Amino acid sequence: MLTFVARRAVGLVVSTLLVITITFLLMQMIPGDPASVMLGSNATSEQIERLRDTWGLNEPIYVQFVQYLVNFLQGNFGESLFHRRPVLGIIGQRAETSLWLGLAALIIVVGLGIPAGVLASVRPNGFLDNTMLLLALAGASIPSFWLGLLLMTLFAGRLGWLPSSGFTSILETGNLANLKSLILPAFSLGFVNAALVARTARSSMLDVLQADYITTARAKGLREWTTIMKHAFRNASIPIATVISFTFASLLSGAVVTENVFALPGVGSLIVQSVLKRDYPVIQGIMFVVAVLYVVVNFFTDLSYAMLDPRIRYR
Amino acid sequence: MSRHRRDDLSIEERDHLQPIRRAARGLWQFATRRRTTAAAMCLLVCLLFLAAFGPYIAPFAADELRVTERLQSPNRTHLLGTDHFGRDILSRTMSGTRITLLLGVAISAFALCVGLPIGMLAGFFDRFGLVVMRVVDAIMAFPAIILALALMAILGKPGLLNVVLAVGLVWAPRMVRVVYSATLALRESVFVEAARALGASTARILLRHIAINLISPVIVQTTFTFAFSIMEVAALNFLGVGIPPYVASWGGMMNEGKTYVIRAPWIILFPGLFLATAVLSFNLVGDALRDRLDPKLRGVT
Repeated sequence: MLTFVARRAVGLVVSTLLVITITFLLMQMIPGDPASVMLGSNATSEQIERLRDTWGLNEPIYVQFVQYLVNFLQGNFGESLFHRRPVLGIIGQRAETSLWLGLAALIIVVGLGIPAGVLASVRPNGFLDNTMLLLALAGASIPSFWLGLLLMTLFAGRLGWLPSSGFTSILETGNLANLKSLILPAFSLGFVNAALVARTARSSMLDVLQADYITTARAKGLREWTTIMKHAFRNASIPIATVISFTFASLLSGAVVTENVFALPGVGSLIVQSVLKRDYPVIQGIMFVVAVLYVVVNFFTDLSYAMLDPRIRYR
Repeated sequence: MSRHRRDDLSIEERDHLQPIRRAARGLWQFATRRRTTAAAMCLLVCLLFLAAFGPYIAPFAADELRVTERLQSPNRTHLLGTDHFGRDILSRTMSGTRITLLLGVAISAFALCVGLPIGMLAGFFDRFGLVVMRVVDAIMAFPAIILALALMAILGKPGLLNVVLAVGLVWAPRMVRVVYSATLALRESVFVEAARALGASTARILLRHIAINLISPVIVQTTFTFAFSIMEVAALNFLGVGIPPYVASWGGMMNEGKTYVIRAPWIILFPGLFLATAVLSFNLVGDALRDRLDPKLRGVT
């Protein structure tokens, strides 16, 4: 197990370095000179030259890259061109909303997706199964922002049950009732991914339910429910775990759009605002944070496989 | 070239052409066998028709402003209602069909042209493959929409070409991955070994033996690329960073309509419905193609 963890950890480091390299290369592709972009059109050429010097833009590219790498590893992502504050601070300020949203959506994905898939697999081609497949298909094709807008029209507009947009910090106000504003966003974000999880859970359960040990368990006279939960579900859980870890990436993507629909002050709406304002340091900071988050989640997914299925460790 | 080698190859080549012929023969069968596939194909034909002839049969011009008729709910004159400028939703949605399908085709073609050669070479040459797949994995660590957003910011102004590049660059690595794993498997197959034993060059093996057998997985992956890319383009337009707002697009319409969503939900309802239908049809056709062309592929794409 220890060598397995060590091997994965090396992979984690390599991936992180590659992620930094890719963000560096992407930022090199920006048209124009960052110093003149920063200083605006009124700057004199001496001012630009001085800033280029402070930023090390006159150094050869590999020196710049090393500098960049060191800065990133120290958590120094530069300063926002628009807010004139450190990027990491701005992201941190927005992180709370996104974390709550992500958590709520994940609860919907797991709480809706897994039971739906397991129930559907109990009687293939039955009523539940067909309904679930239909919903899953719809879920995979409906754009989450459209679903969000529809839910908003219905529940915030017509029925007036839930707030239509905005979110106030829970950490600052201590008011858990604020979570109410996240119900609609979390559902519109989670539903699409729940569909995917349900489909995977169903097919992986169907595979397992044909195994000999399930027949044995039934022959022993175990109750059907015990067979399904204790014997089948546990063995079907690896593909489900995989798809949930994929879900994580797609939640990150979806959150960008969902936060925009519901005007939530999260990291997703921050990146859209930064793109519209061409605030490159913030864009690069968010890309880095999100990609590293993804790489780390993948690392832990791999470890969880090894725990769920001991055979994997020896591969 | 010696005589007996030509004979061998002709047998071999007939073998390789078989997937194409089989696919062509099966196309009609494929379209009609399952009810869902038939329905999806019908919807796609309708969308194609709208894309081709939409502007000619639309009741109004897509950008015709009628300020006095703003925010009307669906009625006799405006079958699907009007938006906040009094533009006809039906006409705009129809006009958006063309741009959506064009972008989908362009992005899929881009992903294919970049992904196919790189994936094949990566699958065939181990060292190259090791490096390429590391990079592909790293690129895929960036969630699709975030990468597309960053690329839009880097490429500069909103525009058709930039959208194609941004979304295409997001989907090309996914194509590389599919082609790579298929090539890895094909490389070990008996007919490649036979070709090599006959003295075929690497280029010949890649082009005549591997490429032609990649057709099925690539077609399937392209269908999914198409479905995802039109969804992503709509998302970019919805966020206001895709194609310029004066061009009628489904995502752009929903972006403009979101301010009025509670008063005038029809502005977002119909473009979204079209988008969902298009994506659903492509997903259904993709699923059916996958089952038909290559059952082994299940779970890969």
